Amino acid sequence: MLKAHFKDLKKKVKSVFNSMPMLYEIEGKQLFKENKIPTPLFKAYTDSSSIIQFAEEIGSDVMMAKAQALTGKRGKAGLIRKVSSAEAEEYIQSILGRDHGGKPVEIVMLEQPLEIEKEYYLAVMLDNESGKYLIIASSRGGVDIEEVAENYPDEIFKQYLPTAVEPFSYMFVDLGKKLGFEAKTLTSFTNIMTKMVNMAKNRDLTLVEINPLILTPDKKIIAADSKVVIDGNSDYRQVDIAAFKSQRARHTDLEFEADQAGISYVQLDGEIGIISGGAGLAMATCDILEFLGSSPANFLDVGGGADETKIEKSLEILSRQDIKGIFVNFFAGITRCDDVAQGIINASKVFEIKVPIVIRLVGTNDKEGIQILENNGIKAYGEMEPAARKIIELVQGGN
Amino acid sequence: MAILLDENIKVIVQGITGKQGTFHAKSMIEYGTKVVAGVTPGKGGKEHLGVPVFDSMKEAVEATQATASVIFIPARFTYSAALEAIDAGIDLLTVITEGVPVQDSARIRQKALDNDVVMVGPNCPGLISPEASKIGIIPGKICSKGNVGIVSRSGTLTYEIIQNLTVDNLGQSTCVGLGGDPIKGIGFNECLTMFENDPQTKQIILVGEIGGTGEQQAADLVKKEITKPVYAFIAGQTAPPGKQMGHAGAIVHGKSGTAKEKMRILSEAGITTVKTSSEIPLKIKENL
Repeated sequence: MLKAHFKDLKKKVKSVFNSMPMLYEIEGKQLFKENKIPTPLFKAYTDSSSIIQFAEEIGSDVMMAKAQALTGKRGKAGLIRKVSSAEAEEYIQSILGRDHGGKPVEIVMLEQPLEIEKEYYLAVMLDNESGKYLIIASSRGGVDIEEVAENYPDEIFKQYLPTAVEPFSYMFVDLGKKLGFEAKTLTSFTNIMTKMVNMAKNRDLTLVEINPLILTPDKKIIAADSKVVIDGNSDYRQVDIAAFKSQRARHTDLEFEADQAGISYVQLDGEIGIISGGAGLAMATCDILEFLGSSPANFLDVGGGADETKIEKSLEILSRQDIKGIFVNFFAGITRCDDVAQGIINASKVFEIKVPIVIRLVGTNDKEGIQILENNGIKAYGEMEPAARKIIELVQGGN
Repeated sequence: MAILLDENIKVIVQGITGKQGTFHAKSMIEYGTKVVAGVTPGKGGKEHLGVPVFDSMKEAVEATQATASVIFIPARFTYSAALEAIDAGIDLLTVITEGVPVQDSARIRQKALDNDVVMVGPNCPGLISPEASKIGIIPGKICSKGNVGIVSRSGTLTYEIIQNLTVDNLGQSTCVGLGGDPIKGIGFNECLTMFENDPQTKQIILVGEIGGTGEQQAADLVKKEITKPVYAFIAGQTAPPGKQMGHAGAIVHGKSGTAKEKMRILSEAGITTVKTSSEIPLKIKENL
């Protein structure tokens, strides 16, 4: 029992770490619609009347019901099904609330079924290495594209586009021809390509993936799926996207609260809560606890230039997690040690911290910070490893 | 000699009158950096920290002949501040700001490349040549002058390593914090090449993280072109497998973003990899 529980937790942790700021399929398709990229007709399920309305809208009694989730393999999990309007309600009720990748299904999308002549793969991503948009396309779509890359590397086409370049249809004619489009479908393709790049630019998206892109028997090209990743740094100028339901759903409650406060926090399943500054040092802090025979209960990076309130908030978040000790580890550059120290003192007056806490404080204004702690009867460590050993001793010593 | 910055480099601080700008410009001046001007639009003609303030980068560069600028400006204004610096003819641009939209970073990077400007950052601690000059926020007092070159994707973790070296009497030639964002200015390879060509640098330390492919490319370069001993530390060794950019990311970059995989590739290239940051000085001393 316990072992299975532990395994589940590990899985959950993994999914959290893997979670990019991705959108639900239906949200991606709303962006497609806004950018005039053709999609099947779709609608969010609200109640049984929405099913009847949708059947009228598409002029068909048969529709797709698709659970919205931020992890893949929905088809295999039975979360996508072609249903008649009579069956739809019962099926939807059976998948709502079902667990998928550690999250309950909350949204179901109704969609017009498509007739398929051929399936393609299409993606526009902001490529980290080149700093350019990278377009990836293949006429072998609808399947796992990583397998295509492995088995048919010659049938995957790539094209780079500098971020400052305005895209035009002519830029994608060669790519369209390589995929086998001609005449009217070639124009449709180059138009879709142009719109996809513009959408990525205007909406600050780091990935727009369509798999499959479908060619229908009447020669229309339609985006049958959407996978969109946003850039969290652009939330301030993409306010509507930042407010999408997926952006709440991808976090646990504590993570969401931290995120709102500008703190990077990931819940893990270990025994010692950590507070650190800088992603690298925060990761190294997790690492050292593991190497020394303990485990981190979380990853927490307050970010550069954190003030007292961020430190207070961090301790508040940890005070609500089930942990055996707290390790505060700062090597301050842009952050100031006196702010860190004052934040800890402030927080300890407001929230009752029942577990042992060890503080390592070095860097900008460390003398002032250490003084603040000493005035309150707290000793600060200067080096990371002895501090880590101390908190582990305090946590495990009593066992 | 060190790389990228020496005691003569003239630096302009963009955003010098802000809270962060003031605090860190002061610390740069105290360290001995030649901070010759500040830029804050609307505050031109004033003096701040004993340094003249200008309304624009163009005016500041014309008046001072500075070749470097450092940006302490909120993320939403960083894009225009960086373009302004490049247009004003700066050679070395350091962006400390965190949270810059990645598309903005990509555009700044492209413009820097087109104009032969060395861009460091964003979301970085900057760089320091001990006893000569520092640009950015690396705490000066933990550094000491010597022969170890450091190039790092992390900020605070770099301080950790610098301090360990200093305590063990291993001084540094130059420490460069590249920044933690997915799209940034110069990377490991540009710095490795500069360190290779710098007579002062005798050993090189590379500090990486999970995710991305910079470490793998560094391994390739080290195998082919770097003759000086290289040591590497990767943060995130116990983290669950790294973040991936959907399937498109997996195709382009392969599945090699984990710390374990990076350490394997670096070791194969002849780089000494360590599990904890405190092992680095020990390994360097073993080989001296």
